[in-house]
Amino acid sequence: MPAIIEVENLVKRYKKSKESAVRGVSFSVQPGEFFAFLGPNGAGKTTTISILTTTLSKTSGEVHIAGFDIDKQAREVREHIGIVFQRPGMDLTLTAEQNIRFHAAMYGVFAYRPTFKLMPAEYRDRVVRLAEIVGISDALFRPVGKLSGGMQRKLEIVRSLVHTPQVLFLDEPTQGLDALARRSLWDYVDQLRRQLGTTVFLTTHYIDEAEGADTVCLINRGAIAMCCPPAELKANMGADTLEDAYVDYLRADGAADTAVEASLEVLS
Amino acid sequence: MTAPAITETAGFSLASPRLTRVRREVNATVAVMARDITITLRSPGTLLMSLAMPLVMMGLIGGNLMQNMASGLHFEFGEFMLVGMLVNMLFMMTTMGMINLIDDTDNNFSSELLVSPVSRYSIVIGKILGSSFSAIISSLGVLVVGFAMGIELGPWQLLALLALSPLMCLAGGALAVIAMGVIKNRKAANMVVMFITMPQMFLSGVIIPIGSSSGVLFVLSRILPMTYCVDLGRAVVYAGTPSYADVVLFNPAVSLVAIAALTAVFLVIGTWLYARSEKDK
Repeated sequence: MPAIIEVENLVKRYKKSKESAVRGVSFSVQPGEFFAFLGPNGAGKTTTISILTTTLSKTSGEVHIAGFDIDKQAREVREHIGIVFQRPGMDLTLTAEQNIRFHAAMYGVFAYRPTFKLMPAEYRDRVVRLAEIVGISDALFRPVGKLSGGMQRKLEIVRSLVHTPQVLFLDEPTQGLDALARRSLWDYVDQLRRQLGTTVFLTTHYIDEAEGADTVCLINRGAIAMCCPPAELKANMGADTLEDAYVDYLRADGAADTAVEASLEVLS
Repeated sequence: MTAPAITETAGFSLASPRLTRVRREVNATVAVMARDITITLRSPGTLLMSLAMPLVMMGLIGGNLMQNMASGLHFEFGEFMLVGMLVNMLFMMTTMGMINLIDDTDNNFSSELLVSPVSRYSIVIGKILGSSFSAIISSLGVLVVGFAMGIELGPWQLLALLALSPLMCLAGGALAVIAMGVIKNRKAANMVVMFITMPQMFLSGVIIPIGSSSGVLFVLSRILPMTYCVDLGRAVVYAGTPSYADVVLFNPAVSLVAIAALTAVFLVIGTWLYARSEKDK
């Protein structure tokens, strides 16, 4: 089966930077796979995900999503992906439903109508039922700015799925969420994967969230260090948990010490 | 009661056919425009500003000019200034409204816009039309203030100006997109809006006739879309009157072509700069 995400020799060098943020990264993701991209701050995770989602240009390399080239067929790529951004990208003045309606219109799923009542019955039914599933029914018609962080995150996931994307990019989706909100969000994503076969591409700081991944890719200083199933990574590092394996790797690589030294330098 | 399966509810396209390509672009433009109108309606400050601007521009500045400058002219200055102020208000308010492109970048909503599978032109045109909403409110305010000052336009003249106003907003907005494409923060954007709108007011003949402009001022006046918008508006208002030759500089067809050409050029450059500013870092 052809890979749904194919990345070859991806390089990104920001305009005012002397060094590349991403240095020759290559990997592939199969349809329906849960792919976790792990690495410390500044490793190149968000840069990579931004390029894959067409929001950032690459310096060189080849990237194909669902068989489409991200440079030459950016529009087709965008049709096939859904994104939950690291920094929430909701309009806080609009209501939750208005944000969903806006997204549905931008993806051409429904013709835009100025009020919820004027939208087709199919849209209205599905939005109400989706809100039930993720537990935001009470918040559907409230301005997003008045919703809790957890609710906003759930809403973002609902919104990103409105056009039924083949690939769902989650860039640190549980940042700032409490344990309960994190659990409920992951239960929902798991259901999606099981029932719709959605490919999930995750970057996260919570290593335990990557335990259930089919493949874990460690990225450090812009280069891929390891790409394998979590069990293999744990076995390679002789660790009991993925978090231990991750920390052991960073320590062995000097990344953890560098981070501690840097923070001590700042504090002093 | 058990929750419905996700397969029934997660996405719409399982059951709904997508819109055709052209309808999708129009749909996206309408959605972007409607969002900006909704935001304007929920912002009392913006609405208040839209209504206060005509009082300041037409009532204070215009009123003062009428009392002190109109006597030596060979034509009715009230109508001359009313059309100028009307177009100026459309340009100024649309340009100010385009600052919310910077706000979208600040609160990351631009990411949602730019990952959408629609043309960047649909997004930019939707933004301009959304910003035109408060501009049209202000231009109606200009007419009300003008009426209170004793300056009246006939119903056909009003209808013609109203019909031309979206094109004028598009022309003003297209110029603003170029500026917003290279500016990164709101403070700079506010200053640039002043820098764009104030000189235009004088160079385009909003309140002062520019028939005798020469040199650099002549060149600048001819590359500003507002010059042709103001002149087209006056061609409509003064049509069939003895003052037409004194007031109107260009044939209306020439103005229309110039507006369309300049708008197209600015729109292409502005949209390219806007899309590039978000992506090329």
